[in-house]
Amino acid sequence: MSLIALQATNPDINLTLIAPELIIGIAGVLVMMIDAFARRGQRWLTGGLSIVALIAAGGASIWLGAGWRGARSAFNGMIVLDDLRLSFTLIFVVVSILTILIAAAWIDIEKLPAGEFHALLLFATCGMMLMASAGDLVIVFLGLEILSIATYVMAGFRRTDVRSNESSLKYFILGSFASAFLLYGIALIYGATATATLPGTTNIATIAGRLNHSLYPPLLLAGAAMLLVGFGFKIATAPFHVWTPDVYEGAPTPVTAFMAAGPKAAGFASFMRVFVFGFPIATAAASTAGYTHKSWLGTLAIMAALTMSVGNIVAIVQNNVKRMLAYSSIAHAGYALVGFVAAGAATDAEQRSAALTSVAFYLLTYAVMNMGAFAIVTLIARGNDRRTAVEDYNGIGFLSPVLAFSLSLFLLSLLGMPLTAGFMGKVMVFTTAVRQGYLWLVVIGVLNTAVSAYYYLRLIIVMFFRERNTPWDAPRLPVSVALALVITIAGVFYLGLFPGRVLNAFGAHPSISLSIR
Amino acid sequence: MTPQLSWYLALSAMLFTIGVVGVLIKRNVISMFMCIELMLNAVNLTFVAFSSFFHDVSGQLFVFIVMTVAAAEAAVGLGIIITIFRNRESLDVDDASVLKL
Repeated sequence: MSLIALQATNPDINLTLIAPELIIGIAGVLVMMIDAFARRGQRWLTGGLSIVALIAAGGASIWLGAGWRGARSAFNGMIVLDDLRLSFTLIFVVVSILTILIAAAWIDIEKLPAGEFHALLLFATCGMMLMASAGDLVIVFLGLEILSIATYVMAGFRRTDVRSNESSLKYFILGSFASAFLLYGIALIYGATATATLPGTTNIATIAGRLNHSLYPPLLLAGAAMLLVGFGFKIATAPFHVWTPDVYEGAPTPVTAFMAAGPKAAGFASFMRVFVFGFPIATAAASTAGYTHKSWLGTLAIMAALTMSVGNIVAIVQNNVKRMLAYSSIAHAGYALVGFVAAGAATDAEQRSAALTSVAFYLLTYAVMNMGAFAIVTLIARGNDRRTAVEDYNGIGFLSPVLAFSLSLFLLSLLGMPLTAGFMGKVMVFTTAVRQGYLWLVVIGVLNTAVSAYYYLRLIIVMFFRERNTPWDAPRLPVSVALALVITIAGVFYLGLFPGRVLNAFGAHPSISLSIR
Repeated sequence: MTPQLSWYLALSAMLFTIGVVGVLIKRNVISMFMCIELMLNAVNLTFVAFSSFFHDVSGQLFVFIVMTVAAAEAAVGLGIIITIFRNRESLDVDDASVLKL
């Protein structure tokens, strides 16, 4: 009771600590206002403002990380500040800026309302940032919903197209279904963390301390399982991945690019925060905490193996490029899960931090190369997403060399060619997994990489070595997309050749301390 | 016999299960949507039951957040459903099969 009274008198408000989220949220509202009052010729304002706000939010989070003074948590533990949050915030900023650049030309061609798109994108970004900074399951849920509701609308943004409608509907039904599971998990955890004297809690750090004092251990396990299902849906792991190909194929291509990179990373941020810190490795394996930890870790390792295999094997038979990239994104979630498993199994804080850093780095590399690939798919698809079949890429290699060579680079990076970002990401993730003794998982991962060579290389071969029978009108390369391509190509090489700086920045403060209250 | 905590938990688990089964077997989008709302309200019942049992207010606060989110979700969801109905004049999910599963 005294604890509640204390909280009532001291709300622990610290606006500095949520500066990136505040900037993005305010910018989202401003964009909506500008869109309502701007004349037709001034519509570019919204895009410009969004990019400025995103850069400001990125700057704010770097400043938070560099300064590193003051509180590490605010709002009574609702918001935390650590490496996990800062590195993922930067990933979200990169993803959203690239999405705006890729979408600029597409919005013009399709004659869609730009302001609405930018406002939704900013709100989605705000939700993703909240998911990464959440220290409490309430904020995880709120961030997830802010993100999801904005993304449902974005998926159905081409209102008159049946495919886009269908994608939006499927995403909405299955997304809400998953949210309900997540929420039930939270409710059960809230009940199960009650002790004889204290009421239940939803604070992630407090949950970790209560595991062995739980009055109802079975409820705790059920709650953790529900959370696993909910997050599993959100980041599209097998066997909860069936919605992904449909949604990714039907959604407008720039939105697909965003969904594959951003919300997936946000899901990983919360997933890792809740499981690695909420149900941490326990010293006594026989205790409730030890049993809970062992159960989720084992399940997750199997899910990782399954996700990698299903994603890669089914991608082989796809004839639509967007669908193929959707399965490839499932496979990449599986590779990232390998690092997650390593983070869960790590016994000391330093190794755990290294594993978390490797997952964040992997998701950054995936975001960069994936956004690049989708930028080119957007250009080639033209209005209405007409040309997305593999046959549409026949022989374009020497007709549009810029597009074909950059797409080949991104595909090779997705495959994991040395010197590219994809290779470095895989090396980091697999190294941490080997260090934690998950050799079998790494072997499955490497075998899967070999399988994935088939479908990535097939597209390159189609582009360069197959005859084209239909006429090809080369798409014009707009300035914004060219800029996005320059950023992503530079990113692929920079992350592939000099990953040190980024890795150091992501793991600058290895002692992630979440002990609050 | 006074009501026990377990009664409420059993009731909400049943409601949640009915919701899950409904989403899986119903073919009409509106019915599926109502089943999802049922799942959310089953969760709310769990929260309220725990909250009243612990004499702790935070569970009930969570319920308010869930209700707000559910309202926002309903607004967006019905908007999506109206769009798809305008384009194809059917709310049967089996008709929504341009994208093969």
